[in-house]
Amino acid sequence: MNRQELKTTIEAEKNKLDLQKTKHRICVCCGAGCISSGSEALLKKLQEEVETRGLEKDVEIIPTGCMGPCNQGPLVKFQPENTIYQKVDCNNIQPVVQAQVVENKPIENMLLFSDSRSKPFVNAKDDPFYKKQLKIALQDCGDINPEKIKDYLSHDGYQALDKVLFEMSPEDVIGEIKHSRIRGRGGAGYPTGLKWETVYKYVSPEKYMICNGDEGDPGAFMDRSVLEGNPHRVLEGMIIAAYAVGANKGYAYIRGEYPLAIKRFELAIKQAKKMGLLGSHILGTEFSFDVEVRIGAGAFVCGEETALIASVEGKRGTPKPRPPFPAESGLWGKPTLINNVETLAGIAPIINKGGEWYSEIGTPKSAGTKVFALAGKINYAGLIEVPMGTTLREIIFEIGGGMPGGEDFKAAQTGGPSGGCIPAEYLDVKMDYESLISLGSIMGSGGLIIMDKSSDMVDVAKYFMEFSMDESCGKCVPCRVGTKMMFDLLQKICNNKGTRIDLNRLEELAVYVKEASLCGLGASAPNPLLSTLRHFKQEYENRIEKEI
Amino acid sequence: MAKIIVYIDDKKLEAESGKTILEVCRENDIEILTMCHLEGITDIGACRLCLVEIEGNNKLLSACTTKIAANMVIKTKTERIKKYQRITTELFFAERNHVCSVCVANGKCELQKLGYKVGLDHIRYPFLFPQCEVDTSHEWYVLDHNRCIMCTRCVRVCAEVEGAHNWDVMNRGNQVRIISDFNTPWGESTTCTSCGKCLHACPTGAIWPKDIVQGQLNKNPGMITELIEKRKLGL
Amino acid sequence: MSKKKLATVWLGGCSGCHMSLLDIDERILDVAALADIVKSPIVDGKEFPEVDIALVEGSVTSDEHLQEIKLIRKRAKTLIAFGDCAVMTNVTGMRNYFPLKEVFDASYKYAVSNDQYGQVPSHEALLKLNDKVVPLQEVVEVDFVLPGCPPSADTIFYVLFEFLNDRIPNLSEAKKLKYG
Repeated sequence: MNRQELKTTIEAEKNKLDLQKTKHRICVCCGAGCISSGSEALLKKLQEEVETRGLEKDVEIIPTGCMGPCNQGPLVKFQPENTIYQKVDCNNIQPVVQAQVVENKPIENMLLFSDSRSKPFVNAKDDPFYKKQLKIALQDCGDINPEKIKDYLSHDGYQALDKVLFEMSPEDVIGEIKHSRIRGRGGAGYPTGLKWETVYKYVSPEKYMICNGDEGDPGAFMDRSVLEGNPHRVLEGMIIAAYAVGANKGYAYIRGEYPLAIKRFELAIKQAKKMGLLGSHILGTEFSFDVEVRIGAGAFVCGEETALIASVEGKRGTPKPRPPFPAESGLWGKPTLINNVETLAGIAPIINKGGEWYSEIGTPKSAGTKVFALAGKINYAGLIEVPMGTTLREIIFEIGGGMPGGEDFKAAQTGGPSGGCIPAEYLDVKMDYESLISLGSIMGSGGLIIMDKSSDMVDVAKYFMEFSMDESCGKCVPCRVGTKMMFDLLQKICNNKGTRIDLNRLEELAVYVKEASLCGLGASAPNPLLSTLRHFKQEYENRIEKEI
Repeated sequence: MAKIIVYIDDKKLEAESGKTILEVCRENDIEILTMCHLEGITDIGACRLCLVEIEGNNKLLSACTTKIAANMVIKTKTERIKKYQRITTELFFAERNHVCSVCVANGKCELQKLGYKVGLDHIRYPFLFPQCEVDTSHEWYVLDHNRCIMCTRCVRVCAEVEGAHNWDVMNRGNQVRIISDFNTPWGESTTCTSCGKCLHACPTGAIWPKDIVQGQLNKNPGMITELIEKRKLGL
Repeated sequence: MSKKKLATVWLGGCSGCHMSLLDIDERILDVAALADIVKSPIVDGKEFPEVDIALVEGSVTSDEHLQEIKLIRKRAKTLIAFGDCAVMTNVTGMRNYFPLKEVFDASYKYAVSNDQYGQVPSHEALLKLNDKVVPLQEVVEVDFVLPGCPPSADTIFYVLFEFLNDRIPNLSEAKKLKYG
């Protein structure tokens, strides 16, 4: 396919979509959460229902990616009204179709959040849950069929790639990304534009582009949702990144626990290749780029970039000391660019709408939006995307609908096993990289666990320490032995057998492991411990014996 | 190679660019403690004993893997580094079952010497006392996991110098173990050439020949370095 | 200067450290000039007295040891962990890799020297072993550690002599640090 053909296809798909606006489009959420509550059976039942009613011509049913409020699933969205029904199953789908498609009158007590709001919203966009959100990475998740490239094309898909290949030089692309001030969404928050530029500057006949989809934080599923809900967006981001840095080969490293994401991403690669959007001479240009999927085998440490590279090379997934950084010597010793899934999902909109547009969202130091996996003691758990700088209070009480039973908020855990806990006095903290670091936590990949007074903070620290201990690769001493020592000490304190000396040892070890470890896993493993020690020291004090 | 200036422990030194901090320090008689480093084989920066402070960098970097740069200001003996060296040594001792009094390497052990060097008279952390196996299946040698500190010098020597790649690592975290082939008893290995290089590379009494008793072990890791040097010269 | 009171204690160890102590030979006279040995495995006395220095050999292997070391801690001004067992459990700690029952069975039931009637002895007068052997510093505060299996007579004399002269010895600086 050349440029003109792509344009024609996109136009044709858009027209089709416009035509469909007069009809009904029923989107059934087939994200991970809704599938586990039975949305696949529902999808089948819905198709039967539509067929028996003879509505096939007026109604299009599509499975989509995640819509957000996962604990209300399975979710079904009716377009063009944008009406979402919650907890729909095979038994109550009939009246919904009758009301929504035939009578054009929504059933109020089955609408999204109908059990907790006095008046649920017919157009879900008006609900505070969605109103406070700004979806960029998740933009089309929940609206398109992730298994159809044409659905993506009808939503401005691959237009950014077209623009990049024909109107922009690699320098221009890097300039635009730098201008957008987007930072890595994998956790560390390194400026993406700078990373691209560094790789671009190294002269090498071979360079590689890797997409990091080894999302391992417990409770985090944003990368999974993007890959499952809109794989082409990530693929487009990869191709643009490869064009910018001069890479001709890419790997998407996706963890093996995400079979659906792997399946959909592989399908996306196949479709893109067929349309000439991937492979040799993309859209008839001189630029060639190919992508392969590499499946992770379940090691958390392989999310660390040097360990990931070792894993792609077929070696044991252990990190290497940096420098040299992957930008200089990465995959097979060649300059390598590694970006997180969510970062790549943000690239196409930046190219389409301009870096300026993106940089105006968020806070001065953290531009754009961030996806959070909201979980724990919260009314509306699920996946949300908010502008950087949204306060924790807004997320919990406006988007998340507050705590169940009106319980008092105690702490929010961000960043999973590498992050920390934010106590109630910092509810008004702006969620951006720097603010979270100043509180001893990190943004991380976006896990956000809300806790009330029933959570014991020493136990929380122990839980995450156990995770880090189990997931340490065992290469360097501080992480391998230090995390085990800290876990043992925490267990001792949890069993009310700890002493003052144990507490002092624990603090000393935490700082040591943080500073002496080889890679980010060890360096951040003590964070949950250190932050609970900082904000909830009394809970530790209450548990230790007063004398040796 | 171009000469550049670096400052190590307030000493102004001239060194060849491209060299690691460890190499420059050793050339200039500045002591750096190491455990996973063995002259001639690839450095991995795993033991974290050689950590140094570099001005302008808030991270501690391993001297064995970090290359010098012009005007780098390096500190190798700050209080923090000395403290961390001690903790690392303590963790080495606490991790597995190091009973010097019954060990073949007693008196010749690099870990023991490291303990003396950092002035370690006792270990403040509770011992982990893991159950470790002793592989005596090889005709001549023994692998005692109780005494292994996971420096992986044996793994690298076997792969890089002998070219046999009998040794590798399995599991993760504190469950890591050195394995022969795909975790078969050493005596049944199809790749081991019984060359004994791993024995000399091993810093402790984890790998030892069967015909000796307590304190009799004599290792010569320098032999491996010499071998590598001679191969380079084509001797 | 009044004479100091010195005690030596034998917990879970092989008494090798005490043998090494005897190896200071005639230098025992120098010690005797500065201190009285008021309690020791070779000195009769039921109650543990108040002392200036207690040299404690061996690790804590039973409840009885635990009570004893806590009492010693209360009554000794300076408590010295004497030898590798007291400092890092050493050989006595080698049973920690296994459950206690397995250790008993292996030594009393299935040992090669036992016939088929081998059984684990049990009598109330016998020591009740704890599941795990721990070094002294796990249960009490230790003022000085003197590792070695055993520490050499020279090192022991050096440490004792320094303490008896109200100086704190430094093994590392004196190049007398040794394990095993």
